[in-house]
Amino acid sequence: MKPSNDRAARITLSITCWTTSIIFFLPIAWIIATALKPKNTVLDIPPKFFFTPTFENLIDALSFSNTLAYFVHSVIYSFIAVFLAILVSFLASYSFSRFKPAGTDFLMFLLLSTRFVPAAAFVIPFFQLFNILQLKDSFIGLIAFYTMFSIPFSVWILKGFIDGVSSKFDETGLVYGASRVHIMFKLVLPQVRSGLVAAFVFNIIFVWNEFLFNFQLGGLKTYGIPVGLFTSITKGGQVDWSFVASIGTLYVLPLALVIYFFQKYLLVGLTFGTVRGEV
Amino acid sequence: MTESIAKFESKIQKKSASAANKNRKISWLLLAPVLVFFAVLNVLPTFWMLGLSFYDYTLTSYKPPAFKGLTNYLDFVKNEQLSSSVSRTFIFLIIAVIFQTLLGIIIGVFFWKNENMPGRRLALTLFFTPMVVTPIATALFWKLMLDPTFGVVNYFLTSLGFNRTDFLTDSKLAFPTLIVVDTWMWTPFMALMTLAALGSVPKAELEAAAIDKLPIRRQITTIIWPHAKFILMLGILLRSIDAFKTMDLTYIMTNGGPGDTTELIALSLYRFAFKSFKLGYSSAVSVFLLFIAIALTAIYLYVLNARKKAEESA
Repeated sequence: MKPSNDRAARITLSITCWTTSIIFFLPIAWIIATALKPKNTVLDIPPKFFFTPTFENLIDALSFSNTLAYFVHSVIYSFIAVFLAILVSFLASYSFSRFKPAGTDFLMFLLLSTRFVPAAAFVIPFFQLFNILQLKDSFIGLIAFYTMFSIPFSVWILKGFIDGVSSKFDETGLVYGASRVHIMFKLVLPQVRSGLVAAFVFNIIFVWNEFLFNFQLGGLKTYGIPVGLFTSITKGGQVDWSFVASIGTLYVLPLALVIYFFQKYLLVGLTFGTVRGEV
Repeated sequence: MTESIAKFESKIQKKSASAANKNRKISWLLLAPVLVFFAVLNVLPTFWMLGLSFYDYTLTSYKPPAFKGLTNYLDFVKNEQLSSSVSRTFIFLIIAVIFQTLLGIIIGVFFWKNENMPGRRLALTLFFTPMVVTPIATALFWKLMLDPTFGVVNYFLTSLGFNRTDFLTDSKLAFPTLIVVDTWMWTPFMALMTLAALGSVPKAELEAAAIDKLPIRRQITTIIWPHAKFILMLGILLRSIDAFKTMDLTYIMTNGGPGDTTELIALSLYRFAFKSFKLGYSSAVSVFLLFIAIALTAIYLYVLNARKKAEESA
């Protein structure tokens, strides 16, 4: 009697979980469906739930003036900035973890707090600073900005991981006459690989998703995907929902793939490296 | 004899002193790049903002900035529109976070109880996707679905016999709608934190409780809660901080309207800066928000440290 009861309970639970997941995904599924619908049926009342999918809208969206450029810009600045941020953050967090220089805790605190300020608060000084330095609409400016944007999270997560590597490795290395550079990059780095992956993936997502600064500090030469999404709604006179949904789909699919493949880093990613554990 | 020992000791001390010196040099050398970034792209803008907040400086007036002392701050305190958008932001934050936390805990427990369900990874992917989508996209998606004439939500409402509703321009509905959308976005996050919190409970203690047939209420109060409370608290804090920053979502979905029913502080600030170009004034508001952020960070780290201590003593 008991085992079959157990089994029924497990099946009910599984169905509940799946239903919940599907309900949460429905809005996104609807956008993808809208993107795949023939253009002239998008605004049909009642909405069409069954239709032959077409890739026409997606191809149209990609070939529309700036769309592809927005994607390329996003890739350029997010990858370079995050790579730079992780490199300098690795050096800094090694120093924080091993030498604990005076003010370590205070600096870590300040770094984290910079990510807790509403973006709008910092837009003005950056706007003026970029005007003076003539960095507006330049990749150098945006990359510098996004490097700083990614540093707090990278330092927090990498320090946590380096703390987890025993300093015996460093000491042994020193005894055998290894240089600091060798110790850091050949002994410690390989052991914090998952920290590096988490920092990389989630900083890319954060930078990829950032809108306000890209919008205010960038320009036609440097706008990324969120600005592309934002301006998609103002294309032409009337809102072209096929177009909006297509750009949305092109934007959201890579993210869903990232969540699938890097799910175990999600927690550390969304808590800025302050909480660790797997789900 | 004693003399030579003393000599030897002082030699060792010197050596370790020079080693410590060398280590200090290395430590600052390694920190240098981050410090440079921090100084140029964080400390400098912060002081700039602080400085501006004492000036009357409006871009469109072509007048040079004039020093006004604390006037901007006093204006800000007196400005009813701003103080109402601050209190609206807190109301938004509290209601949204409560909903997300309750729902998140329930769903989190479901997934926790169901570790071997078929396709768990795919289900979690579908469930987690809303929270990594940029609010700009979320806002656009919901605008499409909530559209009064062709939106899919209204289609279901009317086919169930309800009236056609324009959620985003109805002054009674816009704010609750914003909370619903925010809850859709962020319940997965609280569920994720719940899963992590439950995952931090030692398995051995749970097994022991199961063997002892401890009633579920006792299990929660004596085993689960003492371990899980920290991560759950951190989740609630992070969510509150983030809700406090909400801007992109309202900017696109309602642009603060109708009237000012969905005007949250971050959006007001943005408008002051980029619509009316009152740079001095909006800097004063920014400084205020900066202090709130620092206070929230302090609370966050306090809970984080409390967790560390509890773990070490356990």
